[in-house]
Amino acid sequence: MTGNSIQSTQRSGLVLQHVSKEYPVKSGESVLAVSDVSFGVIENEICVLLGPSGCGKSTVLHMMAGLIDPTLGSLTLDGVKIHGPGQDRGMVFQGYTSFPWLTVEENVEYGMRLNNVSAAERKERVDYFIARVDLSRFRNAYPKQLSGGMKQRVAIARMLANAPKISLMDEPFGALDAETRWHMQELLLDIIDESKMTAVMVTHDIPEALFLADRIIFLSRHPGRIREILSMDFKQGRRITNKEELIETPGYIELERNILRMMRQEASEDV
Amino acid sequence: MRLTNAVLLPGPVKVMTSFVELFGEKGYLADIGMSLYRVITSFALACLIAVPLGILMGTFRRVEAFFNPLVSAFRYLPAPSFIPLLLMWFGAGESEKLALLFLGVVWFLITLIMDYAKSIPTDFINTALTLGGNRKQILWTVIVPAMLPNILTAMRQMLAVSWTYLVIAEIVAADSGIGAMMMRAKRFVHIDEIMAGIITIGFLGLFFDILLRAARRMLFPYLESND
Repeated sequence: MTGNSIQSTQRSGLVLQHVSKEYPVKSGESVLAVSDVSFGVIENEICVLLGPSGCGKSTVLHMMAGLIDPTLGSLTLDGVKIHGPGQDRGMVFQGYTSFPWLTVEENVEYGMRLNNVSAAERKERVDYFIARVDLSRFRNAYPKQLSGGMKQRVAIARMLANAPKISLMDEPFGALDAETRWHMQELLLDIIDESKMTAVMVTHDIPEALFLADRIIFLSRHPGRIREILSMDFKQGRRITNKEELIETPGYIELERNILRMMRQEASEDV
Repeated sequence: MRLTNAVLLPGPVKVMTSFVELFGEKGYLADIGMSLYRVITSFALACLIAVPLGILMGTFRRVEAFFNPLVSAFRYLPAPSFIPLLLMWFGAGESEKLALLFLGVVWFLITLIMDYAKSIPTDFINTALTLGGNRKQILWTVIVPAMLPNILTAMRQMLAVSWTYLVIAEIVAADSGIGAMMMRAKRFVHIDEIMAGIITIGFLGLFFDILLRAARRMLFPYLESND
């Protein structure tokens, strides 16, 4: 299955059509990071971009955010061409991006201030999202007083409080230890499920992808192109928010094995 | 036989007592005040130019492309080489000294601040962009607040250089200031007073360093480290 079947039918939401990205390296030469990627993000889904390092998944996400322009092809959101970054596409980065000079509360409020959201509504949304990511006790703390996981929760709350149409996440838990990571995944899945948001997440962590994804777009590398789109049929159309239950669900192990094989093939092509 | 000459290398006690004489009879406080005035005034002027220009050059590539050739070239010109020119233009008055001190630090200060502005994490800017911020908002709500502690650090680094040019300015042509006092002392072979002058400058330098470090800690309590 390739991505083309989706792209031809979908108009609303985020759609990528024949997107390629070339980076200039030395004089005259260039490297193809992303090649002819086409797919659409379905409304209310969690779409995970998975692949080995160097497959261009982060580049694809940055193009969705409008932080990078594609060399070829087009990206549209609800039929409108993406032209630079905007409030409708929020993003959480792998590195810590909580502004150190703002408190937790001010960080979460920051995006709404940029967009002239009224004070009353700002307060309401700050209260809600700070509580939602379990940071109420730390609302007046500065980021330096927070752990890595807490900093990422601030970043997630800040993005969600800004009410984007789509949430983009670039390995948001990549810098966290295993236990924190696992808690964060459950929390994130809970929030996404509850708020019915649309999310695209980049990761190279297979269990993380299987846990969060409604659909996995597997990218191969050199150049980055869609190798396979995996629907999570074994979940039977629901989200499983408990890790143990997920692993015990029939079909999980088979899918994980398939993805591992694809990863291994990608790696061996290098040698 | 003595290994040292007491006139050319006075002992610590002699140097210390010369402070008493300097403050008591020779109006040293006025000299120190004059030197402080020169350093602070010229440095404030340099900051007034360098801080906004450095931030803009570090933020906007076009501003950098426009100003950087000039700034880089001036950085390589030794400020004291301008002294004859400044003496011709301004005479041996205050303007000449302020101009020398200004020229001595402003180019380095611009470069330091520009480099600090460039070192702001790209993800900070990208975060603000994906939250819907425009260029003006990002300048005032990300770049400027991220820069404030760095500006203080750059100032601390360059203030030390400012004292170097002060002494040069006051030794070349001045009738007041710490450097001028040292040149008077040289005429009368008062080595103890020359040393007292050196100690004074060292002490003032240390004082400002501690002051600016303390200011950084107080103004920016949110920083991870305070160096």
